[in-house]
Amino acid sequence: MDFLGNLMMGFSVTLSPWNLFYAFTGAVIGTAIGVLPGLGTPTTIALLLPATYKMDPTSAIILLAGIFYGAMYGGSTTSILLNIPGEAASVVTCLDGYKMARQGRAGRALGISAMGSFIAGTLAVFGLSIIAPTLADFALKFGPAEYTSLVVLGLMMAVYLSEGSTLKGLLMAGLGLLLAMVGIDPVFGEPRFTFGISRLMDGINIVIVGMGVFGIAEVLINLESPEVRDIFKTSLKGLLPTLADWGRCWAAILRGSFLGFFIGVLPGGGAVISSFVAYALEKRVSKHPEDFGKGAIEAVAAPESANNAASTSSFIPLLTLGIPGNASIAMIFVALMIHGIQPGPLLLQEHPQLFWGVIASMYIGNLVLLGLNLPLVGFWVRLLRVPYHYLAAVIVIVCIIGAYSLNNAVFDIGAMLVFGVLGYFLRKGGFPMAPLALAIILGGKLELSFIQSLQVSGADLRIFVHKPISAALLFVAALLMLIPPAQWLWRLKSGNTRR
Amino acid sequence: MFLLAGLGVMIESIRLTIGTPTNPQPGFFPFLGGAILIGLSLVLTIRAWLGIGKRPEPFGEVRRPAALVAGTGVYVLILDPLGYVLATIPLGFLVLWILGVKSWQVLGSVSVGLSVVTYFLFAHLLGIELPPGLLKLLG
Repeated sequence: MDFLGNLMMGFSVTLSPWNLFYAFTGAVIGTAIGVLPGLGTPTTIALLLPATYKMDPTSAIILLAGIFYGAMYGGSTTSILLNIPGEAASVVTCLDGYKMARQGRAGRALGISAMGSFIAGTLAVFGLSIIAPTLADFALKFGPAEYTSLVVLGLMMAVYLSEGSTLKGLLMAGLGLLLAMVGIDPVFGEPRFTFGISRLMDGINIVIVGMGVFGIAEVLINLESPEVRDIFKTSLKGLLPTLADWGRCWAAILRGSFLGFFIGVLPGGGAVISSFVAYALEKRVSKHPEDFGKGAIEAVAAPESANNAASTSSFIPLLTLGIPGNASIAMIFVALMIHGIQPGPLLLQEHPQLFWGVIASMYIGNLVLLGLNLPLVGFWVRLLRVPYHYLAAVIVIVCIIGAYSLNNAVFDIGAMLVFGVLGYFLRKGGFPMAPLALAIILGGKLELSFIQSLQVSGADLRIFVHKPISAALLFVAALLMLIPPAQWLWRLKSGNTRR
Repeated sequence: MFLLAGLGVMIESIRLTIGTPTNPQPGFFPFLGGAILIGLSLVLTIRAWLGIGKRPEPFGEVRRPAALVAGTGVYVLILDPLGYVLATIPLGFLVLWILGVKSWQVLGSVSVGLSVVTYFLFAHLLGIELPPGLLKLLG
């Protein structure tokens, strides 16, 4: 079947009443959590996992994907109106969006942000529909050696591009790999680090880790210093950008879209980094860089376009290579696994309806989000008045239900609490959580494919460098790990070692 | 903490048998992971000692998170005997109270409401099994 035929098949799946309902619901929940500071996307996806257990897998992924890209739309609202980013990917939008609101141009800032997000989201879905099948075909040629090197590169990218220090990211990846080793060894069948606890024989469930380090830890951090929300009263009239605004923004939206798309494809890349890079690029190419930070509309358009494009394109490594590139995608990976679906190159062949159905739902979801965000902006602002204590109570209770429902065991709630406390201390210490989650997911695969590679090569480690794809992947991974020490040495030479 | 964890992992890996890079045994990967953990945490410690890098975020009011952890710990113990609905009411109460809700009416109504609504939503609408506890006695 050709591209258009596949896409039509996808639309026939998505346009069923239930899937439309889930695409709509995902978009609504996504916008809401994007608006609400203190509730992140991976947390929400982890919280909603138990609600998807009884659902059809395609519907479940349509719902969770909608939450993921919907959050990018909602995140800008709080950045513009409160100077508080609802999502990390909207941090940079505060710089000029809030200034625009202060100048009485909040409506136009929200309008260009929603329009830019829509254009970028739609372009990125189109890119995803074209690139994903080709990449999946290519990935079918991967043997265990290539897969080992791909996982190594994926982890290194997640470490390199994660927020904060690379060293701390690497440490989190190491810890994640060790946690992935808990349970029965996949090759020799020997129990490892189970301490005689039968519940640990199957390993540590990533859902429990996710709910702990994202859900519970987030509540613990917010409990420590509850935020005060000061909603800035401003005119929301004139939501549609003027012709002059379009004149200033169209190129910024396109640049943001393309940049976001390519950064999102990289494992470890994603919405946060793409928004910062798009802002920096826009400032560099702008004829009026002096306006940046003072309410430049293109400084809102570019990062908002980039974070939407990146959130969509980050599905590419998941759907084609089975590599989750960031924490939210890792939770969607878990949702697929819960439904017995292995993400990777065979997904397109074995579950074409899911693959194309999810892609088609993104076209529809972007339309829904445009309709939800522009006319209903007043409603989303009112949502900010929901006190955090209600939200915190709901998060804790839903995390508990989610953990318990995995095995109907209180042990899992206790384990989640342990990971919640661990996540709290690690996050306070500036340790990024994404490499930890990715390493837990990929650790078992890394070990298995490494051993399979040795079996194929007759115990010859050179297989990893003799195979060209594997060698290229390892070369890039090594390069990524050499950059931070090289930078540090460079700074040491120039006499500045603070960072 | 990482140093100790890494050391513990390496000792346990030796017990599992490590093997060689070309003939890895069950302890090989954990041994490697433990060694990496130790190496990296040593580098981090030295960097912190030399004052290089960003300082960790200072702790704020830690009594509130500590109270939630303790409350959830107790919840784990009482969930099975009391059942979901009865055990969740005091937990909801605690979270709201920690976050500054002081009205007894709000504390009572919201915590009971949250417990009952989430039970209905997850157990009845989504078919997730939750411990009935004492409610089982009511039939």
